[in-house]
Amino acid sequence: MNTIFALMRKELKSYFNSPIAFIVIAVFIILSTWIFFYYGDYAFFDRGISDIRGLFQYSSLILLFFAPAISMRLIAEEKYNGTLELLVTMPIEDYEIVIGKYLYTLVVYAIMLLGLMVTPITVMLIGEPEVGVILTSYLGFFLLGASYFAIGTAASAFTKNQIIAFIVTFLLLGVLYLIGGAVSSGPLAAIIDTISIHGHFENFFKGIIDIRDIVYFISIIALSLYVASTALTSRKFLK
Amino acid sequence: MISVDRLEKSYDGFKAVDGISFEVESGQILGFLGPNGAGKTTTMKVLTCFMPPTSGTVTVDGLSVTEHSKEIRKKIGYFPEHAPIYADMNVVDYLQFVADVRGIEKAQQTAAIKHVIEITSLGDMVQKDIGELSKGFRQRVGLAQAMVHNPDILILDEPTTGLDPNQIVEIRSLIKEIGKEKTVIFSTHILQEVTATCDNVMIINKGKIVAKGSPDQLMANAEGKGILNIELNPAANGVLEKLSALEGVTGTREGKDKNTFVIESAKDTDVREAVFKCAVKNKWILMGMNYNQTSLEDVFRQLTE
Repeated sequence: MNTIFALMRKELKSYFNSPIAFIVIAVFIILSTWIFFYYGDYAFFDRGISDIRGLFQYSSLILLFFAPAISMRLIAEEKYNGTLELLVTMPIEDYEIVIGKYLYTLVVYAIMLLGLMVTPITVMLIGEPEVGVILTSYLGFFLLGASYFAIGTAASAFTKNQIIAFIVTFLLLGVLYLIGGAVSSGPLAAIIDTISIHGHFENFFKGIIDIRDIVYFISIIALSLYVASTALTSRKFLK
Repeated sequence: MISVDRLEKSYDGFKAVDGISFEVESGQILGFLGPNGAGKTTTMKVLTCFMPPTSGTVTVDGLSVTEHSKEIRKKIGYFPEHAPIYADMNVVDYLQFVADVRGIEKAQQTAAIKHVIEITSLGDMVQKDIGELSKGFRQRVGLAQAMVHNPDILILDEPTTGLDPNQIVEIRSLIKEIGKEKTVIFSTHILQEVTATCDNVMIINKGKIVAKGSPDQLMANAEGKGILNIELNPAANGVLEKLSALEGVTGTREGKDKNTFVIESAKDTDVREAVFKCAVKNKWILMGMNYNQTSLEDVFRQLTE
C-alpha cells in the first residue's frame, strides 16, 4: 500500500515540476467553462435555464482529448527512458505500479473537476439549479473521466512511444463514445448501447444514479488496469 | 551467495547468454568483463529479476529468481547501464521515493539518505533536478539509489562509462570501499578497472564464460609469454635463424615495422642478455629493445577475438 502511494507522490512531484501540468489543467478548465457559458446549442447565457447540463456534455468531449494527453506518458515514458527497469527491480509488484500511476491521474483529474466548480457555483449564484442533479452529474462525470484515464493507463503500458499511447487511447475512447446511437434499432443496438460510454453517463446528468451505470464504469476501470498490469508483467512471459 | 547454473537467455532465437555457470561468495567483488554485446547486461537483468532465464537456475542466498523474485529484489541494489533516472525530480526527492518503495521506515529514511549522499559526495546537488546534473553526478545518483536500503548485494552495470578519469578513479575506490562489506558484481569493458578493484574476474564472450579467476590467476593461466621487441639497423641476413637458436627463445618473427623483430620466450625467462650478446657477436647494431610480459589486455584479446 505504501509503495502505491509513494509512486503516486512521485508522479505528482514529477508532473507538477513542470509548468506543462498547470497549463494543461488550466486550458481544460477555461475551455470547458467558456464553451459552457458561450458556445453552441447548450450555451448557458442563450438558454436562460439554470442547470449545468451543457458543462458535462461538452467537457466529456474535451476530455476525450485531454485524458490521453495526461495518461500517455505514465508507463510509456518510463519504458522509453529505461527507468521502468529500475522501478520493477525494486520490491514493488507490477499491479502496484499500475495502481500508483492510475491514482496519480485521478488526483490530477480531481484538480480539474475542482476547477470546473466555478461553473456550478456561478450558476447557483445567478439562478436556482437543482443541486441534486449537479451532484449526480459530478459523480457521473468523475466515473466517466476515471474510465478514460484507466484506458489511457492500459494503452501506455503497451508501448514506449507516447504518441502511439495517445492515439490508441484517443481512438479507443472515441469509438466507445461515438458508437452510442450508431445503430438505432434491433438487437445490435442494445449491445452497442451497453458498451457505449454515452449510454451510461446520460442518466447521471438527469439526476438518476443507476447501479448498472456504476457497474459499467467500474468494470471498464478494473479491466483496463488488469490489462495494464498484465502488459507490464508480459516481459516475464517472453522466455 | 549468488549461484548461477547453466543460465541461458535468448531473445527471438538469438542466444544472448549461452549456458554460463558461476558462483559469487558473499563479500566478494566480481568483475564482469567482456566486449560489447557479450551478454553481461543480460546476465545482470536475470540476476536482478528483471526478466526470467530461458533455462537454467539462478539463486541468491538459496532463493530462486523465478519463484522468490520479491525477496531477492529486496536484497539487491541495482545500477542499470546508463543510470536511467527520473530527470524531472530533484536528487533528494528521488532518493526519498526509492526509500519509500524500498520500505525503509520513515524514522530511518533521513539517516539512510544522508549516508548515501555522503558516500557518493552528492551533498551540493541534493536540491537540483537530476536532468540538470552532469553525467558523473547522475551516475552517482544511480549508485546512491542502489545503496539507500543498505543491500547485501550490489549489481552495477558499467558504472564508470562516460566518466572523466578523475571520476573513474573515485567511483572505483567507492566500489572497493563498498566491496569490503558487500557482494559486488560490476561489469565493464575496461581492463584496468578489474585489476584495480576486483577479487575475481570473469571474462565472457558471445554468451559464454571464457575465463574466470583472480586477476593474477588469469594472467598466469593465459599462455604466459615474455615478448621482446628489438630493432636493428640495418637488418642483417639470417637474423631470425640466429635468434631462434638462442637458449630460452620459443619463437621469432618479423615485427610490424621495418627492421623490427619479435622474440617470444617462456614466461619469466629473460632473454635480453642473450639477445644482446648475440647482436654484439654478429655486429648488428641494436637500436632498441623492449621487454613485456603478457598483460591482462593480451589475455582478454586472445580470449574474445
